[in-house]
Amino acid sequence: VKYLLMIYGNREKWESMPPDAWPDAIARQEAFNAKYRETGELLGSYGLADAARAKLVRRQNGLPAVTDGPYLETKEYLASFWLLDCESEERAQQIAADMPFADAEPVELWPVLHESAADQ
Amino acid sequence: VTGAPGAPDIGELLRELAPQVLGALVRRYGEFGACEDAVQEAMLEAVASWPASGVPESPKGWLVTVASRRLIDEVRGEHARRRREQDHAVASAPLEQPPGPGPDHDDSLTLLFLCCHPALSGPSQVALTLRAVGGLSTAQIAAAFLVPEATMAQRISRAKQAIAASGARFELPGPAERPERLRIVLHVLYLIFNEGYAATAGAGLTAPELSGEAIRLTRWLHRLLPQDPEITGLLALMLLTEARRAARTGPDGSLVALDQQDRGAWDHALIAEGVALISSVLPLGEVGPYQVQAAIAAVHDEAPAMAATDWPQILALYELLEQLAPGPMVSLNRAVAVAMVAGPDAGLDLLAALESDRRLAGHHRLHATKAHLLEMAGDATGAVASYREAARRTTSVPERRYLLARAARLGVREP
Repeated sequence: VKYLLMIYGNREKWESMPPDAWPDAIARQEAFNAKYRETGELLGSYGLADAARAKLVRRQNGLPAVTDGPYLETKEYLASFWLLDCESEERAQQIAADMPFADAEPVELWPVLHESAADQ
Repeated sequence: VTGAPGAPDIGELLRELAPQVLGALVRRYGEFGACEDAVQEAMLEAVASWPASGVPESPKGWLVTVASRRLIDEVRGEHARRRREQDHAVASAPLEQPPGPGPDHDDSLTLLFLCCHPALSGPSQVALTLRAVGGLSTAQIAAAFLVPEATMAQRISRAKQAIAASGARFELPGPAERPERLRIVLHVLYLIFNEGYAATAGAGLTAPELSGEAIRLTRWLHRLLPQDPEITGLLALMLLTEARRAARTGPDGSLVALDQQDRGAWDHALIAEGVALISSVLPLGEVGPYQVQAAIAAVHDEAPAMAATDWPQILALYELLEQLAPGPMVSLNRAVAVAMVAGPDAGLDLLAALESDRRLAGHHRLHATKAHLLEMAGDATGAVASYREAARRTTSVPERRYLLARAARLGVREP
């Protein structure tokens, strides 16, 4: 079964982190990614751009109508997500708890209900 | 590996030969991981060249020869250079004599035990068995499980490392550990079948290729070890379940429950085969969980209609299964059988006791079963709530649609 892990954040939270703490944080996250890529359980890990880049897209008269997202007003927004494929929900929970900052910030865990794989 | 158009049986032949070729190579050279890669390469070469050149007189000898060369190339670290030279040579090279009537069957069996080594996780056992014993390519296995090929390749390579690290030898498990090792093998085959029969996630209800592959491998194992009643039981269970496949999905891909299925659309040849298999082992008295599950499937398959089902017998079989292999799902099924024999309230009483089981508490099957029994008891409002709760919790799209349709049919307004 596939699972989606998500972490949330905002500018304030990230700016509160001292710049010299970033390399270590990134290295820990990279180690997590490498670990589960190697077990064959991590399908992909994706970090999103700043909320300032998020757009809302609608179709009007057959054309895309694009506006800035409402995200700037929300307290926290989706920052990164990981797609897992693992044996059981217990295993997914184990992996989520192994995320480098799961001791301080919760990780959202969602089972994936269905998918349309692009390369099948 | 699939055959090229116009040569449909090459793929089948190759997959039949794959474990024998790999067994021969591992016996000769050791190094399971490297041998396995070499056999895959030899199979790819066969797919590329046999449709044009024709199937060699001894396809197994050809594959052993080509795989051995690939392996030796790999070992010498001259892979790329030799490959260029040999691309032309292979097709015309004189074939070595295939190994004579050797311990092929034992080797294939040893291979299966190795792929289902207890040092591996369930998904790794499944992936490695499909590749090394089933002869499927990494790309095919990845497609069946809807994961990227790179992920599946990683899973397989890690499985091989785990086998190497465990120090496992290429030999059949000894008598002391054999029953437990065989139990794992049967469980892996069962997982492959189940993934094909009721894909755990996804829009399609079934992925027939995996069920077919599980049946093929279990048939093969049954031929190797015809005396083992649990192997026979597992094969019977698969056939008796597979027999209902066509009736299990509607034309729009939706799920059709057992009580709504067109029993005329069941595959009666498969049912006859499954019933004959299970009938041949039950009298031996060495009963095990797969035999009991097959017996339950046989009772369902032999009933001309849901109402004509021999529920007291099914209940007795679930009671036996609960002793042999206790688990929350077995208890859940027993509650359904109790409801069919003694009425829905008796079944609901059993469910109430199960609701405190943490393994079941949030499970959609518990809510779905409760919904069915409440519907039987005439409590439409309660049934609708339970159908909706079950629909929220399932990870199968057809099942969700089925549960919501069941709720809608009861015509209760949203609370």
